[in-house]
Amino acid sequence: MEFKKVIGLRRSIRFYQPYRPVERDKIQVLLEAARLSSRAVNADFVQAIVVNRDDLSAEDRESLKTPTTTAQLDLAPVWIFWLIDPTAPRIGQTSLKQLVDVGALTPSHGWSHAYVENVVWPQVLQPIMADAATAGLVAAVEAGLAINQALLAAVDLGLGTQLTALNAANAARILGIPEHLIPIWIQLVGYSAENNEAGGQRPRPNPFEAVYFEGRYGHPYERDEEVVKQLTEDGMIMPQAPYPWRKDELRALSRMFGLPE
Amino acid sequence: MSDAETLAGQETVGRWLRAYDAQWNVKQTDGETRAKLEVLARFCAVCGKQPDELVTWLFRPTPEGPRIRLKRRREVMALIDGFETDNGGRAAGNTVRSFLIHNGVALSAPPLR
Repeated sequence: MEFKKVIGLRRSIRFYQPYRPVERDKIQVLLEAARLSSRAVNADFVQAIVVNRDDLSAEDRESLKTPTTTAQLDLAPVWIFWLIDPTAPRIGQTSLKQLVDVGALTPSHGWSHAYVENVVWPQVLQPIMADAATAGLVAAVEAGLAINQALLAAVDLGLGTQLTALNAANAARILGIPEHLIPIWIQLVGYSAENNEAGGQRPRPNPFEAVYFEGRYGHPYERDEEVVKQLTEDGMIMPQAPYPWRKDELRALSRMFGLPE
Repeated sequence: MSDAETLAGQETVGRWLRAYDAQWNVKQTDGETRAKLEVLARFCAVCGKQPDELVTWLFRPTPEGPRIRLKRRREVMALIDGFETDNGGRAAGNTVRSFLIHNGVALSAPPLR
């Protein structure tokens, strides 16, 4: 699928075909996409556990739910548990030197083994890791980059997907997750039971110019309508929700799956 | 006055019926409403609480606003599961769930697969 179309078609899908499994090779594509994301220090800030819904006991499934993440967990056949690792920069002392060696970080930009050893490691990375809030913030951003690539890869493969909240303590217990890792999201994966446009692109709360600035804060980055028109033609910008038939679709899906209205 | 007619005067019931119509862009007929209220009345008999009382019982007042009592919510969910088995199946259970959802109690049902 064309890149702009992938961005345009991404939705949080909440109705899946519960009976249709997802091919293993497609799940691997999602993980490969996450692995290739931009990442500070070339560290693994995010890890994942792929779980087939039906391999979990009913009791364990229930214990992972939160009040509003119920039906979609029952419907999606594959759950990818994404785990954040705030300790990931611990490899920075060696991983940054490796990036120097492979030509990613270069002397032209001030990089050397000595700079990593004497400056970056003791003055930047160690203080970051010593402060739990900063380490968590850095790790969350880095993890988000990777997870988003997995989301977009799912869309590219024609799969339905979404991130959903979970009971992290129960996830850690059930899946044997080490203490230093934080279960942050479950990425649900399956074949969508709803139209893949899911009723239209979600309306954003603020206009473009209210959140994107030029030169200084508060000075709007002027939105060129010609660009908007081109992106609309390319499928990145799509009609906004709700489509006129969306509520009928939701009602029909609810009735099909015996869910409340 | 039947049990169902009595329920119609409860604040939470009125909120549910109005919110349902607004959510789905419909105007339920008197017959549809009556059928729902009869189901809700049967559930109220099972749980021993009137609708307003049931919703109040599920929330704990806090300075930041009402908070759901999770243990009680689980109790009610289990009660609904049992109720639908004995009282007309999933449609009956979902009537009760719909009443609670539109009164701010987030819950769902196991999807039929």
